[in-house]
Amino acid sequence: MSNLYGVPDFKSHPDAIVIGAGVVGAACALKLSGAGLKVLVLDRGPIAGGTTGAGEGNILVSDKEPGAELTLAMRSRNAWFEISEEIGGGFELEAKGGIVVSRSDNGKTALRSLSRQQEVAGVEAIEVGSKELRLLEPYLSHEVDYGIHYPGDAQCQPMLAAARMLRILRQRGGNVISGADVIAINKDSVGVKSVLTNQGEFATRIVVNATGTWAGEIAQLAGSFLPIAPRRGFILVTAPAAHLISHKVYDSDYVANVASGDADLQSSAVVEGTKSGTILIGASRERVGFKSDLDISILRVLAAQAISLFPVLRNVQLVRAYRGFRPYAPDHLPVIGQDPLVTGLWHAAGHEGAGIGLAPATAELITSQVTAATPFMDASAFSPARFTAVLAS
Amino acid sequence: MITIIGGGPAGLAAALAAGESGSKVLLIDSAPRLGGQYWRHLPENGAWGKQEAIRHDFEKGNQLRQRVAQSVNIEVLSNAHVWRASPHDEHITLHLLVGGVGRTIDVKNLILSTGAYDRSLPFPGWDIPGVMTPGGAQGLLKGNYVLPGKRIVVAGTGPFLLPVAAGLAEAGAEIVALLDANRLTRWIPKFHIVLANRAKLREGLGYFQTLAKYKIRQQRGSAVIQANAGSDGTLESVTIATIGRNFRAKAQEIIKCDSLAVGWGFTADLSLASNLNLKQDVLEEDKSVFVTVDEMQRTSMQNVFAAGEITGIGGHQLSLTEGKIAGFAAAAQFGHLTDVELKGKLEPLLAQRKKERKFASALISSYPVKPGWQEWLAPDTCICRCEEVTMEQIQDSITELGATDARTVKLFTRTGMGMCQGRICGRAVIDIVGRESGINPTIQDYISASSRPIVTPLPLGILEHAPHIE
Repeated sequence: MSNLYGVPDFKSHPDAIVIGAGVVGAACALKLSGAGLKVLVLDRGPIAGGTTGAGEGNILVSDKEPGAELTLAMRSRNAWFEISEEIGGGFELEAKGGIVVSRSDNGKTALRSLSRQQEVAGVEAIEVGSKELRLLEPYLSHEVDYGIHYPGDAQCQPMLAAARMLRILRQRGGNVISGADVIAINKDSVGVKSVLTNQGEFATRIVVNATGTWAGEIAQLAGSFLPIAPRRGFILVTAPAAHLISHKVYDSDYVANVASGDADLQSSAVVEGTKSGTILIGASRERVGFKSDLDISILRVLAAQAISLFPVLRNVQLVRAYRGFRPYAPDHLPVIGQDPLVTGLWHAAGHEGAGIGLAPATAELITSQVTAATPFMDASAFSPARFTAVLAS
Repeated sequence: MITIIGGGPAGLAAALAAGESGSKVLLIDSAPRLGGQYWRHLPENGAWGKQEAIRHDFEKGNQLRQRVAQSVNIEVLSNAHVWRASPHDEHITLHLLVGGVGRTIDVKNLILSTGAYDRSLPFPGWDIPGVMTPGGAQGLLKGNYVLPGKRIVVAGTGPFLLPVAAGLAEAGAEIVALLDANRLTRWIPKFHIVLANRAKLREGLGYFQTLAKYKIRQQRGSAVIQANAGSDGTLESVTIATIGRNFRAKAQEIIKCDSLAVGWGFTADLSLASNLNLKQDVLEEDKSVFVTVDEMQRTSMQNVFAAGEITGIGGHQLSLTEGKIAGFAAAAQFGHLTDVELKGKLEPLLAQRKKERKFASALISSYPVKPGWQEWLAPDTCICRCEEVTMEQIQDSITELGATDARTVKLFTRTGMGMCQGRICGRAVIDIVGRESGINPTIQDYISASSRPIVTPLPLGILEHAPHIE
């Protein structure tokens, strides 16, 4: 592959190298360059070619339980709008709001209790009944009579978000090399020394591992380890019909599924219209490794759940379906921080299905840690040291 | 039971070869009547009127259909769209939409003969009403007995333009111009191949006779490089240019017309082959993708055969021959033909196929599509019609956003994400991205362009009722 943008003089010794040109890598590169570092981004494939390229573009505060991840999500949601200002938009960022519904008595009780706790943490969560739901979503099934409206939930087009951030990086003198496969991460007594790729060796003291589902491979190359594994998901895409649905609407089972440790298929419909006119229907979750077969029985479940929320979808045409591999850690928390074994190697990975939403705040944490500035929150819950501690015990 | 998908020349021949050897056959076709694009909407006995030039082929198509109808071994499922083929260890699940109703069939032995469709190149004005493919124009004429217009320009490249122009002329249209971008001189080094395929020569001469009757002269080395709309938004004229061997436009003139049929050969429909992960390859000469098959038309997947245009574009005669070979070979697998019988049947067919493949490859080198066509594009030319993506947007996604391949351009601009799933613009986008980025597309880029997990759009309500377990 090639380097389209010429070769800046720092190419052989950038201040920092970000591995991974997905949305997390792009956000890290943008923030590091904003702090004055010369940044080089490497990716073995094209920009946004991994999980970012298969993402719906969720920027959610509604699906997190109070705790470190919700704090991260709340900051990140606002950071997206700041980034949009900073880079001039162009990635379909939209504060559309989310609606979480429940149809069972137990589910309603659980949803009400979760939303109360989220409110205490500072999330805007409005209880809505049958009548309000109809005003917000006229085509919602009449069987749905209870939900929580989260005006803070937002959406973007994640591939464009990554590309737009990297465009600004290049304008600031940074660089992006597509098709650069990392072969080795060399170290000396200080820590990380250089990154060897099929397109040459680049000297640096700071490497950010933003390779998502493949982050374990990079950790291993550096002589460390990260327990990140793929969790497969399918998304259905319809013919233009976005006028039917204005918010991101999902069943509260979704929150339970996100947090579930079960390997079998879990699915609860997440339905939303997009700016491009299509309706996206997610989101199945399975742990089957990098198995890429398209399984119609899973698509069927997604279709049935979406129709049960919006019966009008029965006659809407399905046009495409695609799958992606979410990067998940055993405790379902992202991995953000310096590797306990390798000085100079920083991880920004393992965001599971929330990588698009959490990217800007992740980048802020990485940048404050790298530049020894005060972070906006205590990030110890995300430290990669939590895995080595388990290993040692 | 042998299941055949696609009822064009290859599928008909395969069904008859297998069925008449004693195998039970299920022939699945998406059209209301068998015949494929080639014999699409073939008129019933005697109804083809004045179309002497193609009468011989019409008779042949009708004969094949009658034999299929008479065969007790062949069951035909028409109006059936296979929207997904899922491979499993011991069988393949076919998901169908039959007359608007969902249905699933598990099959063990399959012959794929899904054919081809017109290849289009984007150019300024190609989205104006009145511009269509030659196949589209022929479909209107044969299927609905409707002329697409009164004053028609037929353009592009390839021998298929001749029967289309002849058919339109016989039906009463004025062919204001018949153009082919390639010059006849490309044939000179291959004339011995033409002489070895006299049926082809006779067919071609027949069309020229019809055209001569209506005083239509084919202009070689010319192309329509722009379509122009009138005040009502429909086609008013086309800009015609003399073009060089590399398709660069030279002298130009404007010709008034109300319809334009323009096509650049054919693209194989490989969606189902991709569903099954069949091994595919790219022809070096024109970068067309085809399913790789062995001597007996067997694919990389056990018990799956492929025949006709999906194994390489070659016309209906080659499709018939390949269909027969696949049908006999599949029947032999069930013991309906002994080894000796199979050998006897295959021997003449293999020789025939060899000769016809030579002719097919001569066609490909005589009617190439050269990269100069990209110079006809303007920044505001629509490239992806479904998603309304312009040339400029594609260029921006490369220069501004850093896309380095067609897939990334698709993710950034939505090219190929619309209703046609890149059937129309997919190949053109790969060529454009290769040229604009300076990075040669990979073989995988070409093959991926025909990957469509969902082969045809279907209502979510149909998917909802698909079986729980495949």
